[in-house]
Amino acid sequence: MLPLRHVIRADFERYLGGNALSARRALSAVLRYPGLQALLVYRFGRICLAALWRPWWWPALPPAALFYLVAVAGIRTCYGIQLFQSAQIGAGCSILHFGGIEIANCRLGENCSIAQGTRIGSRTEPSGPTIGNGVWIGAHTKILGLVAIGSGATIGPGSRVIKAVPQRALVLGNPARIVFPAFDNSGIQPRG
Amino acid sequence: MLLAAHRLSHYYYALLPPKRRAPGTIVLRLLIFVGRTLAVILAKSDIYHATMIDEGVHLSNDGRLTIGARRIGRGTIIHDRVTIGFKAGAGIDPPMPTVGENVWIGSDCVIYGDIEIGEGATILPETVLSMNVPARAVVGGNPARIIAREFDNAGLRLSLATAVAETEFVQPCSPSVT
Repeated sequence: MLPLRHVIRADFERYLGGNALSARRALSAVLRYPGLQALLVYRFGRICLAALWRPWWWPALPPAALFYLVAVAGIRTCYGIQLFQSAQIGAGCSILHFGGIEIANCRLGENCSIAQGTRIGSRTEPSGPTIGNGVWIGAHTKILGLVAIGSGATIGPGSRVIKAVPQRALVLGNPARIVFPAFDNSGIQPRG
Repeated sequence: MLLAAHRLSHYYYALLPPKRRAPGTIVLRLLIFVGRTLAVILAKSDIYHATMIDEGVHLSNDGRLTIGARRIGRGTIIHDRVTIGFKAGAGIDPPMPTVGENVWIGSDCVIYGDIEIGEGATILPETVLSMNVPARAVVGGNPARIIAREFDNAGLRLSLATAVAETEFVQPCSPSVT
């Protein structure tokens, strides 16, 4: 697990595409992408959780937790993005659009792309999906239950994943079927 | 009561033509940003400001629409949680779908790619569509198939006829797009 500041840096670099990270570009990216705002609030909640184990941070905890709760409620009402702390989201995640995104109780690898209407994991189930690195997840996808998705897989729009997906596969449909066993998703990554 | 998304999309039309004449004007860009932000917060929908939406289009109130289309014809009804957009990785200035007149699009649809949807087509809920649809056809399923041809969707669209009439009433406050 990377230190958190590297994780946040990787998030910004993902959203900026090939451009070098600067304060002005970072600010414009935060203003422009609701997904980045939601992701930053999620990381802030991670910091709050980490502070629980450090007693010398406790004085700062109540205002920070209050800010986190207000920010989460605002992002839920304004954008409809819900990233619960029960999910582990890897570095460099990219959330493209907004509306109906709900990520709970799962494990996401690094450099994943998530589109609108995606639902990964359930709040009520004890365990959720495990998703590898560099997975591209299309719009209106539902990934529920105890499934594993290999690194570099591509999940087409509107699919319902109920079975394990091997590495670098392209799955489509309801229920999801493997269309191409080896598909390179570097061409469809967001440009930032 | 009448749908925030309608008015906002009309607001976009009002902004759109001057922006074409004078690109790069900061005030207009700011206004477009304000309009899009209002759509985001009120209806959780993201409608690309260059989309040409004709009069009499019914967009769902509940929203969560993500629409980037070349044109949406008049009398079209679009329900909740619909995504219309270009194919991922299509390059710079990608081709977007064109939706014809009097199309009924059910909820939870995903429509993407360089496609055309014919006049009077019906797209059932939860369809994932990436192919051209002939006029008056019914498509459904994931991936989409043509289920029926020569289907008249006037009955489906009739249930929202009042809303369509109100939309046409709102129309005079925005300039014509065509």
